[in-house]
Amino acid sequence: MATFLSAHGYDPGPTQRPLIAGAIAGILATAPAVPILIWFRSLKVEAQILNLSTLLTLAIGWVAMAFAGAIYSRVFGRAANNVHGGWLFGMAFGFALWAAGAVLVLPIVSHGRAPAGPAALGVAASLLVWGLATGILLPFVHHPLHENLKKASRDAQVGPGAAAGKQQHVRDLRQRSNG
Amino acid sequence: MMRVVALPKAIMAGLAGAAVMEVYSLIGSKVGLSSIDFVRQLSASAFVNSPVLANAIAIAVHLSIGVCWAVFYAFFFWGRLRVRPVVQGLIFAIIPASLAIVVVYPELALMRHQVDLVQLDIPSYFAALSLSTIVSLLVGHALFGATVGAIYRKPVGYAADDQPSKPAARQPKHYRSKRADGRTGFMFATGIECSYPTIDGGRWRRDEMDSTGHYKLWQHDFELAREIGITHIRYGPPLHLIFRGPGQYEWDYCDPQMEGLRDYGPEPIVDLCHFGVPSWLGNFQNSDIATALAEYAGAFAERYPWVRFYTPCNEMYVCARMSALDGIWNEQLRDEGAYARAAWNLANASILMSDEILKRRPDAIFINSESSEFYQPCCPDPHVQEAARAANERRFLPLDLIYAHKLSDPMHKLLVDQGIAQDDIDRLAARAVPRRSILGVDYYEWNERLIDRNCKPLALGELFGWYVIADQYYRRYQRTMMHTETNKMDADGAPRWLWRQWHNVQLLRRAGVPLVGFTWYSLTDQIDWSLAMSEALGIVYPVGLFDLNREARTVGLAYKHLIDLYRDQPDFSDCRALKEVMG
Repeated sequence: MATFLSAHGYDPGPTQRPLIAGAIAGILATAPAVPILIWFRSLKVEAQILNLSTLLTLAIGWVAMAFAGAIYSRVFGRAANNVHGGWLFGMAFGFALWAAGAVLVLPIVSHGRAPAGPAALGVAASLLVWGLATGILLPFVHHPLHENLKKASRDAQVGPGAAAGKQQHVRDLRQRSNG
Repeated sequence: MMRVVALPKAIMAGLAGAAVMEVYSLIGSKVGLSSIDFVRQLSASAFVNSPVLANAIAIAVHLSIGVCWAVFYAFFFWGRLRVRPVVQGLIFAIIPASLAIVVVYPELALMRHQVDLVQLDIPSYFAALSLSTIVSLLVGHALFGATVGAIYRKPVGYAADDQPSKPAARQPKHYRSKRADGRTGFMFATGIECSYPTIDGGRWRRDEMDSTGHYKLWQHDFELAREIGITHIRYGPPLHLIFRGPGQYEWDYCDPQMEGLRDYGPEPIVDLCHFGVPSWLGNFQNSDIATALAEYAGAFAERYPWVRFYTPCNEMYVCARMSALDGIWNEQLRDEGAYARAAWNLANASILMSDEILKRRPDAIFINSESSEFYQPCCPDPHVQEAARAANERRFLPLDLIYAHKLSDPMHKLLVDQGIAQDDIDRLAARAVPRRSILGVDYYEWNERLIDRNCKPLALGELFGWYVIADQYYRRYQRTMMHTETNKMDADGAPRWLWRQWHNVQLLRRAGVPLVGFTWYSLTDQIDWSLAMSEALGIVYPVGLFDLNREARTVGLAYKHLIDLYRDQPDFSDCRALKEVMG
């Protein structure tokens, strides 16, 4: 999948600001996930596992989801900006976070203590909802953050020097061949 | 975006796959097999006091998961393996099956606990899994995958007799700068990829405007072109949808877009026939296409009298070769004679179309775009030399016909052998070519080819370059020229290619060749061009100034940089060669 994404513009577009857009989308998407965590008592259980207060767990979780959003946006690059497919990429990322974070990492760092019953269901549902919301929101959050085309096109890297590609200046090449 | 996904198809495939999986579970439990019923598992995890609600939610969740996996399949997996779609689906099913075994099923067991917190170790985590559970999960997912694979296929295009939705209505937007009529500056152009050949024996229609979302986003596409600084846009209204029969036209398929271009530009170079004909005309072996397309061209020029630039038939050589020699599009033949007939019919169509347009618009300008190709023999072997010579003569046939250039003896013989009357050949040779004809020369990195020892063509990359190849065409036809297509399938390398092509253009201008324009083709990414549209896979071909989300690619910025740098230079703001053609 990595090579496939790479061939089709794995990197974000030149006018995009994926990290900030992803962080904002991640923060906003946490809002619908929190009531699920509360409803299923998952937040309380996670706080218990981490030995923190509920409020602090929520605050840390919110910051973590901002980072997660930034990572999602950077990793999925152009694909994350797809209005039609973004929801799916977001949910896939949410699922991965659940499988990797809640199911694998959390029990390891907490010496085998893991949410069960409705609390476990709440963790899964909240991450899927978070992923879905992040995927849906990101294209819309990102759009107004784009760098202006005119400004971006003035970058020397896309100017006449691009004809030489990533080749070095003739003098550098000559020095290298002499060296 | 890597794939064009047919969302309705994917949703249907996912729903059907989940339903088949559920039916398997129900039948399995009825006949006493150990089968995993995900709906039952899910409904036992939440809302246990309300079985109806629990079941309804569980069914909805299971169907939704099925849809998610099917869409995932469509985005990442479909078409990657060269095996039957059902087998692709089966192989794909390994992914959800593995996750179900390792993560989902053990987690569902955890969710059924009566407590909120448990102490876990690896054996207790996997305690719920038995061999029969694993087998059941594998069989269920195999059925799901096979169903999805069987349903989800051909995400782009449509049955040849169908019609896609009509273009979006024009939104009332007002822009400051109106289209400037009679502009004589150098043409900085792009195009909207609009190919519409048929494949699968004429049963399946490719439609690039549909696949790239242009029918929905046409207004935004034109805005982006203007933002880059594009002055001219190669635009091909969908002939197969508009021309429904003799005297029957559905102009709704291009009225909104043409009105948008008329008012705000860019100036369109209207491409009337782009690699396909309406189903009722059959294919390029039909000699009636010339008169039929002439009727269409006349009707088009009457409806849009403000259009001045036309490409009657795009890349006639490529169209004839792909349809009749390579067996890929339309008639799908592999025969030298069929190639000659297709080339003759296309050239005839181009000529008659030009005549009809000139009756309505005597000052019309024709940009006859053709793929510039060159075949280099690899060695002195006479067979190889002969194969290269034949290929080099074949490439010129359509242009020789429309520009009244003397045919080579083998090409002349080939036409006569196909029953083309000598009088007709003489008529074309004696024809006065319209004065305002511009030779459009397209160039891609596969246009230069090496004829190997087995007489097979191999792509050479940029060996001699556009300057040398275009010069061959100029020497032969002595026409004002335009670089009418280029691109590169490498998002990082594309700016380099753009600037190198541009330097070729400048050098040829300085050598005295009258050159009036340059084109990066196309505005957005294209679909399935990596396999010449021979299969409806929906693979995005990332060559656009913008991707299909309409996000700028680096080459889009580079082209804007180039246009901003040169547009106001005296040689370009007032292009003498274009002025002479237009005058």
